[in-house]
Amino acid sequence: MKDQVGGNQRRARFQVLCQSLRPDLLRFAFWLSRDRALAEDVVQETMLRAWKAQDSLLDEAAAKPWFLTIIRREYARSFERKRFVTVDVDELIAREEPMLAVAEEQNLAEMRAALFKLPDEYREPLVMQVLMGFSTAEIARELGLSGPAVLTRLFRARKQLRVLCGEDTSLDPQE
Amino acid sequence: MIDCARYRRSMMTDPNDSDPQLREYQRSCHECGLFTERLLDFESRLDRALRVAVPVPADAATRADSGGRTVVPLRAASQPVSRSASLGKGWLAIAASVLVAFGVAGALWLSASGPTLAADVVTHMAGEPEAWRRTDVPVPAGALQDVLRDSHLRLAAGAGMVSYASSCRFRGHQVPHLVIQTASGPVTVMVLVHDRVPKSVWFDEQGYRGVIVPVAGHGSLAVLTRGTAADLSAIEHIAARVQDSIVWTG
Repeated sequence: MKDQVGGNQRRARFQVLCQSLRPDLLRFAFWLSRDRALAEDVVQETMLRAWKAQDSLLDEAAAKPWFLTIIRREYARSFERKRFVTVDVDELIAREEPMLAVAEEQNLAEMRAALFKLPDEYREPLVMQVLMGFSTAEIARELGLSGPAVLTRLFRARKQLRVLCGEDTSLDPQE
Repeated sequence: MIDCARYRRSMMTDPNDSDPQLREYQRSCHECGLFTERLLDFESRLDRALRVAVPVPADAATRADSGGRTVVPLRAASQPVSRSASLGKGWLAIAASVLVAFGVAGALWLSASGPTLAADVVTHMAGEPEAWRRTDVPVPAGALQDVLRDSHLRLAAGAGMVSYASSCRFRGHQVPHLVIQTASGPVTVMVLVHDRVPKSVWFDEQGYRGVIVPVAGHGSLAVLTRGTAADLSAIEHIAARVQDSIVWTG
């Protein structure tokens, strides 16, 4: 009886944790996949796997990277299943146009379109840093890169994005 | 030794790097200051662009409260779906409860920015449960000033007794997170100078009720209480009182 009560409390806590993280996890999945429907599928699968494996989350403070790892794996699995060969960015932008265009300002819509065009290896660490609040060390650990490699990607990501967005780059540094 | 190139390269990898050496260099070089200003503006737009609206269940239409305000349920429960045939029967039952809790199924991607901002405010609350203590001990005046200074504001006495003040990372910026003790309990206030809303957004989610009100020229103000029994009129009154008590210094 006592065990059952404890188990229920633990599950309730886990649900609250998942609910609080869900918005950013969905956003991360969206920017990873650039596909709204796929992002929802990936997060749904992630939640199911997380639920099943919740005992392996020993520290709630580490929940964000824990979920992120599952999302990345789920995304990789979906990618393998669907065997995407090529990605036409213009087609992607057109498909997700309703979502991209809901920005309250036109320049946010332009920024989102530019993010779509950013190579995956630059977009992913940038999203991890800006949206998820990950440190360089955390990004490096998750992506299996060195700290300097992460910094290089973040630098290039912003540099390319600024050019794509038509920013004034006259004061921007060279690599 | 920091020079312009090194400073700007560092900022391009993390514009919010709080390294004191970088900050000092920024103050000493006019062009680097200009570069930083532009970069932070860009970063703010990037942060907002990444925060695409997240789905709410299809049946979670907005509803009006007794006072006629439109209240946005950010994540109401939806019907579960069984989408994976590979799962066992037991898993379907668990999956159903998980999906109900997460409201993933049958979702719409909201087009308004308000609910997304409100969702982020509610999410932020989950990370600071200690802020909700009922207390009659005010936060030291110096500590409160420190928290408010970076957002270029101070609070006049009319706001009420502030029992908690923290500079919190929110949507890529440091923002003041305050708790004001009121007759009906602690009320959280977040000063969101970087987030504008076109009109007041009411929300009721995960045990929190509140409102985000626009502040002309200074973004918005989120005011919320814990408990779904909270009176929306009281929240509205507190929001107005806090807004009247803010003195912008920059």
